[in-house]
Amino acid sequence: MSIAVAIENLTVRIKDKEVLKNVSFTLEEGLFLGIVGPNAGGKTTLVRAILGLVRPASGSIRVFGRSPEEHLVRDGAFGYLPQHQNIDPGFPASVKDIVLMGRYHAAGLFRWPGKKDMDKALRSLAVMGVEDLKDAQYTHLSGGQQQRVSIARALAGDPRVLILDEPSTGIDVVGQEDFYHLLKGLQKKMNLTILMVSHDIGTVTTYVDEIACLNINLYYHGNPLGALNEKVLTSLYGKNVDLLLHSDVCEKCERLR
Amino acid sequence: MIEALGSPFMQKAFAAGILVSVLTGVISAFVVLRKMSFIGAGISHAAFGGVAIGFFAGANPLFTAILYSVAVAIGIDFTVRRGRISEDVSIGIFYSLSMAIGIALLSLSRTYNVDLFGYLFGNILAITPEEIVLTLVVSIAVSGFIMAFLKELFLITYNEELARVSGIRVDLLNIVFLVALSVTIVVSIRIVGIIMVSALLVIPGAIARLFARGLRAMIAISCMAGLASVLIGLVVSYEYDMAPGAGIVLTAAVLFFVPLILKKRA
Repeated sequence: MSIAVAIENLTVRIKDKEVLKNVSFTLEEGLFLGIVGPNAGGKTTLVRAILGLVRPASGSIRVFGRSPEEHLVRDGAFGYLPQHQNIDPGFPASVKDIVLMGRYHAAGLFRWPGKKDMDKALRSLAVMGVEDLKDAQYTHLSGGQQQRVSIARALAGDPRVLILDEPSTGIDVVGQEDFYHLLKGLQKKMNLTILMVSHDIGTVTTYVDEIACLNINLYYHGNPLGALNEKVLTSLYGKNVDLLLHSDVCEKCERLR
Repeated sequence: MIEALGSPFMQKAFAAGILVSVLTGVISAFVVLRKMSFIGAGISHAAFGGVAIGFFAGANPLFTAILYSVAVAIGIDFTVRRGRISEDVSIGIFYSLSMAIGIALLSLSRTYNVDLFGYLFGNILAITPEEIVLTLVVSIAVSGFIMAFLKELFLITYNEELARVSGIRVDLLNIVFLVALSVTIVVSIRIVGIIMVSALLVIPGAIARLFARGLRAMIAISCMAGLASVLIGLVVSYEYDMAPGAGIVLTAAVLFFVPLILKKRA
């Protein structure tokens, strides 16, 4: 298996403050990585650095052997779902319009996406189970529907790496589990490498292959069950954390202790 | 109406008005979606400084205003990106400074035969054939830019970070858009005036936002709303002998508020 993401001694400063410090890890192609940690722990900064949206102060990032800057010029490697989507309620776009945005780079300069791109966009909507919404106004959808359409947009560009920043925000718990199942299926079916930022360490551990626990430093990277011990959790969230897990992982984690 | 069309200066005014309304209509859709109305107002007020430089230096005021406004737009963008001040503060400083420069230069030159009122509120009598040609060239260039980069501008409007990730040179396109906005503002000044031009940057787009479900429809409706405002406004100004800017903006406001109120009721 080839290496999808290789990060070495990554340090990122934002306004003279260290947001990430000496972070190193590698992720193999086709794996599902959960990135967890407290607020302001650098989770979003890490994925933004991988995408080339923030420059590291030091260290190196390679995605399939290329730097993020090279990917920004060549484009198409990443499907990205940003965290905040403060969209104007009057934004003039149907669901189809939004998903077609994922085909813009493939259409190329001075060309509007054509029929082939539209087919691809509709297939992505079908994969996400929302093809019946294709003619709806995007801003009229619920949070969960917008999320699925946005992932369809990200998938429409045939990415090798899918990066999701807090994708479950605004979705109810039952919806979240369906959503994680769906991601798991995509990962297998399309051989996608997935990086997902989440604050919900409990649920995530059930679905991901590897977990990265981030609080400015990287405290843990590896098998998700290994993260559920007191030492890692204390480094992330401080002392006196009561771990309440409502899943079968709980028993395994008791055993690990 | 027919009488108005008969006079040569009104024909020139209509020609310039049609060009300006379509041009501002296209730009206005993006100004509204990208919440750039304050920078539009800022650049148009700053253009006053550019006009005054033209009078002071004995050059064509529209040409100096174009250069000056583009410089101000890039200056605002630069100071904001340097990060020490926020955009609204930067705009506030640049436009008041520019108006102060304008007033200082006009006071120094002591030429009170300058048609100041015409620049502030529009003067269709003063439009020259050269200015119509300039407006035509600007209209083709700006509309051409927006149509050529329509999908890129649309994606930037939706989400700048997504645009960057899909390989779009966001900073460059933003600068070119600001230049296009500045040039649009300056060629519109002859018709509607410095004080009123920001209305043409906002109201047509706002009207279109009430109705449009897609980007291209929004641009088309915005252009039609601009066109209707300018044509009706020019006739009204001619009939009642008022500054054209006032007639145009009053018409545009009616076109915005009537559907807004009717839509709320429905």
